[in-house]
Amino acid sequence: MFVIDDLLIRPFVGIVDALHTLALDELYDIEAIENDLKENQLLYELGERSEADYRERKEALETDLEIARDVHEELASGRVEVKR
Amino acid sequence: MTHRYVYGIVERDGNGRTFDLETTPVGEGDEVYTIAHRRFAAVVSDIETTDPERTDEDATRHDEVLRELVEGSKGDDAQTVIPMRFGMVFESDRALKNVLRGAGPAFRRTMREIDGCVELGVKLVRETDAEVDTEEIEQAVAERLEPLAESSVANDRFSDRLVVNRSYLVSREEREAFDTAVADLEAAHDTLLVQYAGPYAPYNFVDIQVGAV
Repeated sequence: MFVIDDLLIRPFVGIVDALHTLALDELYDIEAIENDLKENQLLYELGERSEADYRERKEALETDLEIARDVHEELASGRVEVKR
Repeated sequence: MTHRYVYGIVERDGNGRTFDLETTPVGEGDEVYTIAHRRFAAVVSDIETTDPERTDEDATRHDEVLRELVEGSKGDDAQTVIPMRFGMVFESDRALKNVLRGAGPAFRRTMREIDGCVELGVKLVRETDAEVDTEEIEQAVAERLEPLAESSVANDRFSDRLVVNRSYLVSREEREAFDTAVADLEAAHDTLLVQYAGPYAPYNFVDIQVGAV
């Protein structure tokens, strides 16, 4: 019975893994963060954002970008264990 | 050992010409100069590493050196420059001259396309909460600016407030008319902020990749 249960559950586990990876992709979307960095720069240059706000936002986005790159590197390496 | 950091390629400038620039060069060298092979010369400065780290400061220096060459400064004539991306280093003069020789045909072709031209960037950004007709604005921009440009390319719309983001290749003779046209567009669209930038070396109109080191 154990074997049958395992076989029945396995496809669903695969889907959960894929959904989890998709969720990580969205949460750590490198392109979106890079676009936010460019927008921050543009709004600062246009005088819409103060230098203090610009620097604060830039620093936060650069940290997000670094984390996102690390996450994607880990995902690509297959070393990430998806917890259920 | 000292290597050569390359900013771009110029034509007919001889060997060892130095440029008197405001910008501090990338790397440890204190001057920007040329290394030539026949018709073309690389604009370089000295550097200790073959793998420079892309810091904001050095990336800005790279761009500023190119901008000064393109604009001309302190009595130096404005140059037509085939720009290289940040980070290109050659181990020796010999390696660099080999590239100048090998890529000669590509440099000649590119120089013909961009000779006497600069790159100008136009970004139109809608005011916060403003509703704009993107198609109408794109059409107005095209009608006003395209006739004055040799060529143009659309750039990434990285923000939903960005209505137009284009780079234009404009001959120096048309620069003033182009400035006026951009000012007219700004005056005609009060819900838009305009960022008009340049002149730059024509990165967006050059497609040459050469191997370094």
